[in-house]
Amino acid sequence: MNETTPNISFVIGEEKHLSQIISRSEIEPLLLSALATGIVRAALLDADGLPFCDIGNMRAPQMPERAAIRLPIRVEGEPQGTLLLELETPNPLFEAVAQVMQNALQLIVTNNLKRMLTTEVHTSVVQESYDQLVLTNRHLQESERRYRNLARDLEQKVEERTAELRQASKRLLQQEKLAAVGQLAAGMAHEINNPIGFIRSNLGSFSKYLNRFLEMLGLYRRLLDEESTTAAVRSRANQRWNELKMDFVLEDSAVLLGQSVDGADRIARIVAELKGFSYLGEMEKFETDLNLELEQLLASLADKFPPDMKLTTDLQPLPLYSCHAPLLAQAFGSIIDNGLKSRTSGLHLSVSSRLEPETIVITFVDNGCGIAEADLPRIFDPFFTTRPVGSGTGMGLAVAHEIISGAGGSIEVLSTVGTGTTCTVTLPIGDAHA
Amino acid sequence: MIEFDEHQRKLVLKLVYYGPALSGKTTNLLSLHDQFDRNGRGELMMLDTTEDRTIYFDLLPFFYEAPSGFKIKLKVFTVPGQVRHDATRKAVLQRADGVVFVADSRTSMMAMNGESFANLEQNLSLVGLAIDQLPLVVQFNKRDLAEVVAEEEIRKTWSEAGLPVVMASALQGRGVIETFRMAVELLFDSLDSKLQLREKYGVDRAAFLRAIMKT
Repeated sequence: MNETTPNISFVIGEEKHLSQIISRSEIEPLLLSALATGIVRAALLDADGLPFCDIGNMRAPQMPERAAIRLPIRVEGEPQGTLLLELETPNPLFEAVAQVMQNALQLIVTNNLKRMLTTEVHTSVVQESYDQLVLTNRHLQESERRYRNLARDLEQKVEERTAELRQASKRLLQQEKLAAVGQLAAGMAHEINNPIGFIRSNLGSFSKYLNRFLEMLGLYRRLLDEESTTAAVRSRANQRWNELKMDFVLEDSAVLLGQSVDGADRIARIVAELKGFSYLGEMEKFETDLNLELEQLLASLADKFPPDMKLTTDLQPLPLYSCHAPLLAQAFGSIIDNGLKSRTSGLHLSVSSRLEPETIVITFVDNGCGIAEADLPRIFDPFFTTRPVGSGTGMGLAVAHEIISGAGGSIEVLSTVGTGTTCTVTLPIGDAHA
Repeated sequence: MIEFDEHQRKLVLKLVYYGPALSGKTTNLLSLHDQFDRNGRGELMMLDTTEDRTIYFDLLPFFYEAPSGFKIKLKVFTVPGQVRHDATRKAVLQRADGVVFVADSRTSMMAMNGESFANLEQNLSLVGLAIDQLPLVVQFNKRDLAEVVAEEEIRKTWSEAGLPVVMASALQGRGVIETFRMAVELLFDSLDSKLQLREKYGVDRAAFLRAIMKT
């Protein structure tokens, strides 16, 4: 609405002239009807005495004098006009008719004035109501605009904060990763130092033993030149053999070398498992039948199964799943391996797979020793193991966790000591399978 | 001031009877109409009313013509007292030269009086009139009723505000003329200081008052 439109405004009580209050056409019929009573001229004169409405004949100069009567017409009680009536021949009813005419005219004027005043007030009130509405509307628009801005700012703020949080979370993740790497390095140093320590010590002992071997060899050579009889050679050699405790040295050498080979194997195993942990994201993904993978995995592990073990499988049809199959197989292998080690006899292991609306769920259940509640939070930590030194690297579940997380899935472990462990792997079916 | 026409030598003034609903504003005008001689005044015009409640306004005009030919027309208005007719009150209050605030003396009506007076202050400022420069007379009406606030108490309260207070019973015609006279005198004096009515236009205060208040 255009607000520059001038308001229709009235000043209540403003003076009004007769001509503003009545129109000619309103009073003409009244004046006209007076002529029927013998009146020859009926007129309403304004405040200046000029005719506002004039009916009948004006008296021409040569015509005889007429009887005339003039009566005031008031506006708000103030004479503002004159009713003029002229008659040629006097008539007894003339004055009474004049009175009636004046009353009628006065009534018209007064009622018109009342109507005008009413209209003016009414218009003022309507105008003011309208102005109020316009004002209210403007305030509402203003406040709406403010709220809209507020909402927009809020959105922006939320975005900013979200970005900040995302950044912070990224940093935190980075720090956690660094911490994990640190932990991993520390664990690795310890795990590798230990075999390296005893390999080095064994090699040190072995190199001393080697000196004795060399001495014995040299002695044999010399005795063969010096002595003429084998008996003499044997006698002197045996004497030195015993002095150098060669029987023990030979025996211990075998032990030392065997231990060293074991140690080297252990290092090699740790390094091999670390490969899974350092995650090979660049590896190509393949559409894989996870059920087939599980079956092959179980078949390849068959020689490790205890003789009295019971294996149950319930593999329901699954869609092809895009993944790094060897990695997943390694992860599943680690989980199954834990199950196999959970009980020395009477083990029951069951492996099942099923399809849920958006995920593939693979469950491994054993009736083994279970995991202590205190240990549960740490089972995925690298190098965490409850088994005797040497029998577990503590990397199995850590690697499994890393692989499954890397595939966008999750791994959940429920366990009760003495009853068994349920390990549930959930893998999201990507867009390709949606 | 509704109109001041130096050429036509005419002044049209406005006096407004304000106050809470049913405090007797119209009754005041009716009483003035009845008590004054018709020579000095016009007819009382009552615009549409419903059940005796003013919804637009009432108007009682007074006329005076000085020997110099200078004319003064004083239009006395009432406003509707009901809260809902605020826009009408504001419209009537425009260009007022003076205000008579008609209060209801009954104890139970004191809060209403207060509200209405606050409304008067607000509306005056909205129509651009300064209440401290406007001739204003307070009338405590309905003194004839029981359970009215004591005169002494009223005077104490209102004289602190520096406003003239008149006790009245409009229904019995008491205090009505006194109120009107006080308001007209204040109004005249205020105009005289602005327009020099006497020096410039030959309007005599006493003659003016006599003319419009002929009983």
